[in-house]
Amino acid sequence: MGFWLELAASGLITGGIYAVVAMGLNLQYGLMRIMNISHGEFLMVGAYLTWWAQTILQVNPLVFLPVVALMLFVLGLLVYRLCFRPIARTAANAEVVEARSLLVAFGLMFIVQNLAYLVWGADLRGYTFLSDSVEIGGARFGANRLLVFGFALAASLALLAALKFTLFGKAVRAMMQSPTGAQLVGIDTAVLHPAVFGAGIALAGVAGALLSMVYEISPSMGEPYTVTALIVITLGGLGSAGGCLAGGLLLGLVEAFGMHFTSPSLKMLLSYGVFILVLLARPRGLFAR
Amino acid sequence: MSAALSIRGLSAGYGPIAVLQGIDIEAAAGRLTVIVGPNGAGKTTLLKAVSGLIPREGEVLLDGARLSGSPASIVRRGLGHVPEGRQLFAQMSVLETLQLGAWLLPRGERSARLDEVLAAFPKLAERRNQLAGTMSGGEQQMLAVGRALMNRPRMMMLDEPSLGLAPKMIEELLKIVLRIRDSGTTVLLVEQNVAKALAIAEFAYVVERGRVVLGGSAKEVLASEEVRTAYLGTV
Ligand SMILES: Nc1ncnc2c1ncn2[C@@H]1O[C@H](COP(=O)(O)OP(=O)(O)OP(=O)(O)O)[C@@H](O)[C@H]1O
Ligand SMILES: [Mg+2]
Repeated sequence: MGFWLELAASGLITGGIYAVVAMGLNLQYGLMRIMNISHGEFLMVGAYLTWWAQTILQVNPLVFLPVVALMLFVLGLLVYRLCFRPIARTAANAEVVEARSLLVAFGLMFIVQNLAYLVWGADLRGYTFLSDSVEIGGARFGANRLLVFGFALAASLALLAALKFTLFGKAVRAMMQSPTGAQLVGIDTAVLHPAVFGAGIALAGVAGALLSMVYEISPSMGEPYTVTALIVITLGGLGSAGGCLAGGLLLGLVEAFGMHFTSPSLKMLLSYGVFILVLLARPRGLFAR
Repeated sequence: MSAALSIRGLSAGYGPIAVLQGIDIEAAAGRLTVIVGPNGAGKTTLLKAVSGLIPREGEVLLDGARLSGSPASIVRRGLGHVPEGRQLFAQMSVLETLQLGAWLLPRGERSARLDEVLAAFPKLAERRNQLAGTMSGGEQQMLAVGRALMNRPRMMMLDEPSLGLAPKMIEELLKIVLRIRDSGTTVLLVEQNVAKALAIAEFAYVVERGRVVLGGSAKEVLASEEVRTAYLGTV
């Protein structure tokens, strides 16, 4: 019993991280059709900044979490301004934005990753943080892992609530449902687009910060998360934040149980298997009506 | 409260495709001006160019001041636009849609304005929690008008609000349009029901193939040979 609980928990913990990363990417793609495949690189930057704060400044990573979010938000504004705004301004339609942003993001991925190698080196880095284990219902969990799950869940729910209940969140959804209608009530894309892009990058940064509390980090850690985020978005439905949360947790569980019954080396294969199955059976997402 | 709209030498199109060529139209303050014309004449393109949804050349003045920039900045100046196809937020409730209509209003004025608009549209008030996408065509059109009114526009453009509606609903919508004018808002109405529209308007323009071919008082336009044969089917 304890063993299955532990297995499920480990799936949910990874799934929580997936959800946060995917929500960030979904905001960017859902609103602006920016196919930001460098999304995971910002997760990596968030992880390294947290590691720096912890090892150099001895700042508690949880205390540093809002700082990471803010720093990555600002970085996101900058990246949007330099890389994606010019595309949005000159592209004739959404398909062109998608194609061009994909190419630009591909370049960005190499730049950010190589800068990380330059600054932080290729070695695995890490620190220990609350690694004692806690016993719940006969199962043992690392305190840091429970904490990470709690924060990932909280971040996801906070985003969901903001989108659902605040006027700004409603404006974001309105812009997704009818860009023309949104512009005609006076919602300014020049404000909304950078802000939402920044928020997406900030979510990636938060996910990276959380990951650094439990795993070792490296400059190439981000890439797989971008792929996973794309899978989760497909599971959850384009533009749906709630779908991302459910899809992320689900994928985490599928991976955990799948790896237990097969082999850990098949992790990516399992994700892709789920991805292809969903694309074939429910191309608009598992939860689409 | 009402403002005059002057469109001078306006040209616009889609990329390399030129649709409008040197349009001149005046919508007098507090009056109802109608634009009629065949399908594909460029009426929708004209309204989109005025509200900044597509780039344009030429001048658009609201009470003598140039309107330019993003749609948001133009709407902020007091221009309302009920677009073709309504462009509602399908997954938003009536209430949420109207709240978004008040996006540019000062925070303190929003709820009072919401009450005013709900009072003016009892049918919307009854359905305040229904999703926009699940409403009937007539209800959706009312919601689109209500959404644009939330911002207290000085000038309101409506693009074929009666499209696809039953005769009774068309009457009701035209009554709403008249009410908007009588409340002191200038109205520029694009309409396919030429007879009905010309009967209630003060001024009218006929647009064909991207140009104004006729303009004047609604009476004159209604009496013209051209409109009688081409649009009303009478001689
Ligand atoms: N997005 C677009 N891209 C390219 N051409 C367009 C686009 N929208 C409209 N057009 C073209 O511009 C011309 C004018 O279209 P517009 O929609 O303004 O006509 P309209 O007068 O509103 O017609 P209707 O009465 O049918 O609504 C048409 O020839 C149309 O094909
Ligand atoms: Mg039209």
